[in-house]
Amino acid sequence: MRLKRMDPKRLSELLKDRFGERITITSLEERRLFFKVDYEIAHDVARFLKENGFDMAITMGGTDFPKRNVIEIFYGVWSSTHDFVAFMKFDISRENPRFRTFIDIWPAVHNYERETWELLGVDVEGHPRLKLLLLPDDWSFEEEGYPLRKDFDSSRYRSPWGDET
Amino acid sequence: MHRYLTDPFQEIEEVEGGLFKLNIGPQHPISGQGRFIVLTDGELVYDIEVDIGYSHRGIEKILEYKNYIQAVVPLERMVMLDTSNILMGFVRAVEELYGVEPPPRANYIRTIINELNRISSHLYALGLYAESAGWNPAVFIWTTVDREPILDILEMITGARWSHSFFIPGGVRADLPNGIKERILDTMDFLERRLEVYEDAWIYNETFRMRTEGVGVLPRDKAIEWGAAGPSLRASGVKYDTRLNEPYSAYPELDFKIVTHTAGDAYARGWVRFEEIKVSIDLVRQAIENIPKGPVKKALPPRPVKQEALARAETARGEINFYIYTEGRDKPYRVKISPASFRNFFVIEQMPKIQEIKLADVPPLIYSFDPWFLDADR
Repeated sequence: MRLKRMDPKRLSELLKDRFGERITITSLEERRLFFKVDYEIAHDVARFLKENGFDMAITMGGTDFPKRNVIEIFYGVWSSTHDFVAFMKFDISRENPRFRTFIDIWPAVHNYERETWELLGVDVEGHPRLKLLLLPDDWSFEEEGYPLRKDFDSSRYRSPWGDET
Repeated sequence: MHRYLTDPFQEIEEVEGGLFKLNIGPQHPISGQGRFIVLTDGELVYDIEVDIGYSHRGIEKILEYKNYIQAVVPLERMVMLDTSNILMGFVRAVEELYGVEPPPRANYIRTIINELNRISSHLYALGLYAESAGWNPAVFIWTTVDREPILDILEMITGARWSHSFFIPGGVRADLPNGIKERILDTMDFLERRLEVYEDAWIYNETFRMRTEGVGVLPRDKAIEWGAAGPSLRASGVKYDTRLNEPYSAYPELDFKIVTHTAGDAYARGWVRFEEIKVSIDLVRQAIENIPKGPVKKALPPRPVKQEALARAETARGEINFYIYTEGRDKPYRVKISPASFRNFFVIEQMPKIQEIKLADVPPLIYSFDPWFLDADR
C-alpha cells in the first residue's frame, strides 16, 4: 500500500482523531511532532505510527523526574515516506519502573532498550537480551545504582586530578 | 549465549555441535576498542555479538553537570576523527532551545570545517577498510598521509589538528585566518589528484571488487528496519542525508546531491564513502568561494525559549541526534545522544541472520560499516 505524504500537522490530527484525549501534543514544528500518551495506549500508538510509515527508530531513552516521581520514556521515529520525526513520550512510575518492549514494532530499538534498562533501572518486559551493554562487567546495581537516575552519586567517580565541575 | 569465557586469556571457547566462539578483540588489530564474539564452525559464521562499552565515559551524565559551553569539550571526545560533526548536532540542539540563528558567515565556516572533517574521517575509514580486506597496507599509509594537509588547514583555522572545540552555541570561536582560501583550494586540487590514484590502484581494482562484492548484502527494507545510518544506509538505496533532508548550516545554499548505491554490499558501502569525498571537496570549494562577510558569533539569550529539542546532524559515520530537555537553567536536565555507530553495530549483529557469511569475510564486513567503538560507547 502506498502512503500519501503528510506533514506533522496532519499526523497530529490523525492521532487526535484516533486516540482523542489520551494523547497530548506538546510541540508541533516543521519537521518534528512531540506528543505524550498514556502508557496503556503506547503500543497501539506505536503500531499506528508504524502502519502510517514511521519505520525507522532513530532514538530512544528515558528521563528521570524524582519530583514528579515518574520516569519518562521517549521514542523518536523517522519516516522514510514523510521525512519527519514523530517523538512519542509516556510516563511510568518511578517506584516500579517497567514497560513492555517495543522491539516487535521497531527492531532497531533493541540496544536502546538494553541501555535504558541498565542506565535508568527500568525493567523492559519481553526483551530477549537484558544484559550489561555499556557498564563494566562487575557493576553492581545494589551498591552503585543506576547512573542516569538523578539520585545517583556521581561524586564517587570524579577525576583523581581534581574537581572539574 | 554466554557472555564470559571461563578463562579470560582463552580466545576460543568450544560450544556444543562442533561450533566454537571466537573472540575478536578487544586486543586485536581489526577490532578497535571493543569485542566481536563470533560463533563459527571454522568456515561459516552463525552469529556475531558485538560487545561495546569498553570506553564508556558516561558523557550523557557528565553533560548534566556542565553548562552549554563547557559541554563542548567532553562531547568532542566521542569521535576524535570527526569532532566537529559530532559537535554540530549538539550546537544545533542548543541553538534551537535558545531560538538563536547563527550569523551566515559562521554557517559557512562551520560547513567548511565539517566537510574537511568528513573528508579526513572518510580517508581514514577507507584506509582501514582496505587493510581489513587484506589489501596492500600501502593504501592505508596513503590515506593517512593524505589526511595531513587537511589536518594542517584545520590547525591553521582552529589551532588544533583535532578536537578543535571551535563550534560554540551561537557561532564559531574565531574568523578564518588570512590566506586560508588559497591554501584550501590548493589542498582540494591535491586531494582530487590523489583520488584518481586511489581509483586506479584500489577502488575500481578488479581484485578488490572480487574480495568485497556480495559480502554482507543489506537490503533496503532491512536497512530501514534495523536503523542503519549514514553511508551504510545510502549504500542500500535509501536516499537520506541529514544535510539535505534537514538542512542546517550553509548546506541549503550549496549545490550537491546525495550519493547512493543500490547493491547494499560491502563494496557499495566503501564506494559511497569514496564518492562522498568528491562531494565534500566540491562543497568546500563552493563554500569558500561564496562565503559572506560579517560577524561569526552571537550571544545566547539568558533563558531558553523551549523546553525540549531534537537536533540531527550528519557525521561521517551517519546521523547523530541529540535530544535535550531543559528546565530553564544554564545546564541541560537530560541529554540523549544517539550516535551512528551505536545503530550500525546492531545492524552488524543482524547480518548473519539474513546471509551466509564466511569467517574470512568478517573483517571487511565490519569495516565496510566503519563502526567506531568510542562513538557507540559515549
